[in-house]
Amino acid sequence: MPEWREEIARRLSSLKLDSSRESDIIEELSQHLDDRYLELVSGGATDDDARRDVLMELNYENLPAQGRLGMVREAPQEPVAPGKSGPNFFANLWQDLRYALRQFRRNPGFAVVAIVTLGLGIGASTAIFSVVDNVLLEPFPYRDAGHIVFPRIHGSTQTPDEGRQGYSSDELLEFARQNHSFESVIGTADDPVLYKRGAGVEWLYGADMTPGSFEFFAMPALYGRVLQPADYKPGAAPVFVMRYKTWKSRFNSDPAVLNKIFVLNGTARTLVGIMPPRFGWYDADLWIPKTPHPGISTAFAGLPERWFVLARLKPGVSTAQAAADLTAVVNRMAKLRPQDYPAQFQVQVEQIGHSVSGHFESTLYTVLVAVGLLLLIGCVNVANLMLARATAREKEFALRAVLGAGRVRLVRLLLVESLGLAIGGAALGVVIAWGGLKLIVVTMPPDLIPAESVIALNAQVMAFTLVLAVLTPLIFGLAPALQAARRDLNDPLRDMGRGVIGGFRTARLRDAAVVMEVAVSLALLVGAGLLMHSFLALRAVNLGLQADHVFKTILLLPPDRYKTAEQVSTFFRPVLARVKAIPGVMDAAESSSVPPESGQDSKVEVSGKSPAEPWHAQVQNVSEAYFRVLRIPFERGRAFTEAEINDARKVAVVNRKFVSTYLSGEDPIGRRVKLLGLESVADSLREPWFEIVGVVGDVANQGAPGYGSGGLQAPIAPQVWVPYSVTGSGMQVLAVRSAQMPMALMNEVQQAVWATDPGVALVYPDALEHAISQGLYAGPRFALLLMIIFGCVGLILVTLGVYSVLAYTTAQRTHEIGIRMALGAERANVLRLVIIGGLRLVLAGVAVGLVVSLLLGRAVEAQLWPGVKPYDPATLASTVLLLLATGVLACWIPARRAARVDPMVALRYE
Amino acid sequence: MTPEVEWKKVSAELLILSLVEARPRHGYEISKLIEQRSGGAVRFYVASLYPLLYRLEKRGWIQGRWVEKSGQRRRRYYRLTSEGQKVLASQRRGWQAFVEAVNRITEAENA
Repeated sequence: MPEWREEIARRLSSLKLDSSRESDIIEELSQHLDDRYLELVSGGATDDDARRDVLMELNYENLPAQGRLGMVREAPQEPVAPGKSGPNFFANLWQDLRYALRQFRRNPGFAVVAIVTLGLGIGASTAIFSVVDNVLLEPFPYRDAGHIVFPRIHGSTQTPDEGRQGYSSDELLEFARQNHSFESVIGTADDPVLYKRGAGVEWLYGADMTPGSFEFFAMPALYGRVLQPADYKPGAAPVFVMRYKTWKSRFNSDPAVLNKIFVLNGTARTLVGIMPPRFGWYDADLWIPKTPHPGISTAFAGLPERWFVLARLKPGVSTAQAAADLTAVVNRMAKLRPQDYPAQFQVQVEQIGHSVSGHFESTLYTVLVAVGLLLLIGCVNVANLMLARATAREKEFALRAVLGAGRVRLVRLLLVESLGLAIGGAALGVVIAWGGLKLIVVTMPPDLIPAESVIALNAQVMAFTLVLAVLTPLIFGLAPALQAARRDLNDPLRDMGRGVIGGFRTARLRDAAVVMEVAVSLALLVGAGLLMHSFLALRAVNLGLQADHVFKTILLLPPDRYKTAEQVSTFFRPVLARVKAIPGVMDAAESSSVPPESGQDSKVEVSGKSPAEPWHAQVQNVSEAYFRVLRIPFERGRAFTEAEINDARKVAVVNRKFVSTYLSGEDPIGRRVKLLGLESVADSLREPWFEIVGVVGDVANQGAPGYGSGGLQAPIAPQVWVPYSVTGSGMQVLAVRSAQMPMALMNEVQQAVWATDPGVALVYPDALEHAISQGLYAGPRFALLLMIIFGCVGLILVTLGVYSVLAYTTAQRTHEIGIRMALGAERANVLRLVIIGGLRLVLAGVAVGLVVSLLLGRAVEAQLWPGVKPYDPATLASTVLLLLATGVLACWIPARRAARVDPMVALRYE
Repeated sequence: MTPEVEWKKVSAELLILSLVEARPRHGYEISKLIEQRSGGAVRFYVASLYPLLYRLEKRGWIQGRWVEKSGQRRRRYYRLTSEGQKVLASQRRGWQAFVEAVNRITEAENA
């Protein structure tokens, strides 16, 4: 006689019965099994067969009077009332969880599909949330970062984004002295530095910091110390602190560099501290103490000093109050120096995150909404699967109810199953998010996020995932659970044949779910389509030049040796000659900037014109070959001659916008234009009147979007080009047109520069086309890429969803289809029947989705190219077609299967 | 709960209560009787029978007791309690009413 006790005891073990009750049950059941075994053996079964059959009966489930030993303890118990946690609450929960796991093991296909679906949704949401969290919500590691703000002044005709955020020392000092809103005010200014290293020269991006800056940020140094008040005293030993990343990449994390002396731009400075990894203010490599002094002063490259001002709001002061306060201060200053301000202006005070993320912020929130929709589709899909399964399991539920499980208990059991799936999905989601983040960090344009951001899964992100894991089962599990519990549960002796199809309500719920996910998917695809359309429009904008085959690099000249126009020209004439001699080089030019960056903004006067409001233009200093190198076409007049450059003649070329704005159609050639900006640089000009000799087409000059620049969406500004030889102030950029790959020139250009002056460093060498692409297109391309990925995943999920529902209902209708065919229906009729049934849902979903898209369209409108409307008919039409095509595909397979139904086989089901 | 639902719920209980009405029986005997008398159409296996027995016992409708007979293993016999008798009587009446109702419906259809 086989021994059953162990087998029975194992099944009872999870119930935690008291020991005498348990041994009673074991004894009683094992006797029953003994009797059954003997009966089978005496009926002629072999020992093994009998043993197997008995064990099977111990497990047997699929009979009307099914049940489980797991019910033994559960049966005598009254249903747990909602909200009431009985003494066995946790034991029950544990039991439910174990039961759920067994269910998944028994039906792994379902569990895998559900977990992968949820994993995709949760993973994508987690990845994007962690970008949002690290970039937008908590990008800065500084003390009380939520109250750190910066002011911006913009003219009444400008948008806030186009406003000014660089201030003179006077302005900085007056802000600090006169405001009533801020605890403290500091300033930061560009200060690129050259330092000798070995035989060559390298450059680092330095930032000047006003007194109190490090107290403002309140982050201690990782090694050494931060800048202190004593470092700002007159006669104090020159010092600086370094960024962790720079220390690691440039100095191999060598601790010996601390307290060493570096010669930076000719000044010997001691490195007194290395900052912790997340301190990356201004994206600088090093931070240098500098005290702002009243009066007009020039700084880097002989350009007027410009401080980026940061302030910390006093507790309880809003940005609007601070803006009103600063407006009063600026108004007082504008009375003293009206030439520095637009006639009508507004002051804005904004939180720092915005200074960097700018346009990217709305992109990220859009993408976050998109992944939310994706997660919703995933949830709906799983809910649908569970609804279908619930129908198949209705007998199990009925039996559970008969054995005393209350509705609450059943709902809980199903919710625990859902929770199990969601936890599995969340676990997979974390893995997907982890991989996705690696990918995002690689593909995300680095300039669009604050330097301090570290994009990684952190505690907040994990908490977010946990919340998703708990909330999603409520979304996808509650409907099926309530549905199952609501149904008539009580017919344990019901027929042994096939059950009644789903039930009307379940079918309706399933249909509604399909309609909803089609609608959500359509909204997602329309979003992706609009962004794509918008991106194509952006790419189609004519930049006004040919950027291919152009190599560009900033040349950083030692400021102590290059101050005057003569010194700069003496350097560039031989450099240009040497570069032009490199094989493959077609032409080379000097310029103070390259597109899409602007020149220096300057007030302008035009002979014979006396405007009420001051006129402005971008001023760029170039050599004669500049227009040839960038292939900027002339519309009138001519380019500079070599003689004009060599003699530093006061001649100018203007763009078409300049002519249409300031000369309204009059002939510009021979007119004189005064560039007042050239009066306030270090190597200044007196009476800077220039004669216009040529007009070129408009060239993009509004910079890359973000950082207070408008990008390609902003209208092109009037621009004036003058010979670079008229002033020694300004940035120096070398632009080279080549017959080969531009970056292949890198080493030879470097040799040509160093052969002229080994103390000059090449900064940001790049192919111009690549630089433009990074600056102008990388952000929108990134958003588009994400939306396309999410749109496709959504489409796949919807296809799966439509397919699984149709496959399920078609299988349930096999009998009906058999009868129809037996009564003479053609296969084509059946095919049509099923496809129309499915397409009806898809069409309903498309209709709902169109409405949703139009409503959501307003939200994305701000991100679209001005010409692209959220109700763009081409995008809507192609998206609808795509979705319908997918819908037909999803219906086709179940329909084909239905059409192949053999009437005889189908009827035999009965 | 509607009367109709009530009938479905009690039918399994009705079978067991009826079987232990005349005399106490043990679980295996009950399962064999259900199978034999239904001609094999209805079967209660271990996993479903005993939970039901324990629940009826918990409600006080039947009472189980270990009985030792010489030369045999002890067995647990279930007998109907007085409360169980009342429940059985009421369920039986109700069931008969239900069956008659069904018959009337189906016969009317055949007529």
